[in-house]
Amino acid sequence: MKFISVIAILLSLATGIVYSWAQGTTHSINLPEARVELKPGEGLQKVETFCNICHSLDYIIMQPKLTKPQWTGTVNKMIKVFGAPITEEDAGLIVNYLVAQYGAGN
Amino acid sequence: MSYRRITRRDFLKTAGSLTAITAMGGFPSSLFAEERRLVRFPEKTDLILLTQRPPQLETPLGYFKELVTPNDALFVRWHISHVPTSIDLNQWRLKVGGNTETELQLSMDDLKKFEKVTYTAVLQCSGNGRSLFEPRVAGGQWKNGAMGNVTFTGARLKDILNKAGLKAGSVDVSFDGLDSPPLPSVPDLVKSLPVDKAMEEDIIVAYEMNGRYMPMLNGFPVRLVVPGWYATYWVKALTEITVLPKQFEGFWVKTAYRIPDTPCGCVDPGSSPKKTIPIHRMTTRSLIVNPEDKARLKVNRSFEIMGIAFSGGYSIKQVIVSLDEGRTWKEARLGQDKGRYSWIQWFYPWKPVKSGNYTLMAKATNSIGESQPSEGLWNPAGYLWNKVEKVEVLVS
Repeated sequence: MKFISVIAILLSLATGIVYSWAQGTTHSINLPEARVELKPGEGLQKVETFCNICHSLDYIIMQPKLTKPQWTGTVNKMIKVFGAPITEEDAGLIVNYLVAQYGAGN
Repeated sequence: MSYRRITRRDFLKTAGSLTAITAMGGFPSSLFAEERRLVRFPEKTDLILLTQRPPQLETPLGYFKELVTPNDALFVRWHISHVPTSIDLNQWRLKVGGNTETELQLSMDDLKKFEKVTYTAVLQCSGNGRSLFEPRVAGGQWKNGAMGNVTFTGARLKDILNKAGLKAGSVDVSFDGLDSPPLPSVPDLVKSLPVDKAMEEDIIVAYEMNGRYMPMLNGFPVRLVVPGWYATYWVKALTEITVLPKQFEGFWVKTAYRIPDTPCGCVDPGSSPKKTIPIHRMTTRSLIVNPEDKARLKVNRSFEIMGIAFSGGYSIKQVIVSLDEGRTWKEARLGQDKGRYSWIQWFYPWKPVKSGNYTLMAKATNSIGESQPSEGLWNPAGYLWNKVEKVEVLVS
């Protein structure tokens, strides 16, 4: 009996290893798909199109209520520093949306 | 063990959402600004969700009752959205080159042939506590859970660099991980250290966390460990080390992760620093872990206030505790010392004999006299947070 339980333990250890290292020396995980719903409002479609290119939209929800200069600075950083392909017109729509829905109101 | 209670309460609050995650393999929607809820990512336990892509997950406070943070509870923070999710150790190599005599392509087995070094160290995000800044600043809105105390095992960076052979005129060493940017215009996350810092005895390329391989989201298969310095330098999924004959000019050192060049690393709230330098050594901190803020305690019942304290590589010499919002202070008892890079637990027995509201505070001082400010020091990026914090409890 003792012998059998030792084998059982060894087997469970082995399957544990096989489970976490499914293909021998390869270690893999599956990341869940990001899904975030923002508040409705004018400009939402632009936000969903452009901000989503680089990051999930909960980056917006997470922020404190930023002022208009702060949201403008953040959107400008995305364009000038990180190269987000956003036209000036769309940037204006995006900033207005962020200030209206996730802003400090000034 | 109030963290279990809190976790369960949070779980119940979000149980429907968690079920939905399992069923759909995705995340439910969220409409509320600054909402904090628990999620479970691969190889991790339920952590507080900041962002999904790239993942940023915060450790619930209750885990800090443990001297060493479990692998599945350690916080997660990635910068750019192409995060490594599958690595074949047969193919994986750590490349070492640049201004060196030879170029190395180290396999995991090669790495394990170097002398093995193990120690316990606090890993803390530069922006830990950012959500506590006043006025508020943009960025990852962490409370105090972007940190952990972990036992790392690995090879000395110095031994690896010596094997490659530093050529004369080496200035900086840069470190690149397997994560990559979603657009070519987004700067890849590459960090650097001055060569003298890189050759310090205690910096390691770690292949184990708490005696096990590290979770993918914490930097599998190896990450740089720069004990005493903020986690921005602890490059995850490290794959390339480059010795440079000139100063490193990359975005994540030259432009990002910088602090005001002032003695406190701070400026007047809302103002811009005239000159900045790269963030480096951690400030001294303490945290009350138990009781948690707004807890209720019983009058005439013995209770042990418990917390942690650490600093950027210097031992904690003293922790003092106040039960009356800073009017009087008494010394706490320090727990097991796991070395100068680890946090230390502290304990203070308390038997409140009068009911009412109490404001508890704790303040740590390290072996070179560095301590904590009673008012929050401000900088525009929300770094270096170490204000003496207040925990309010009701005794009845």
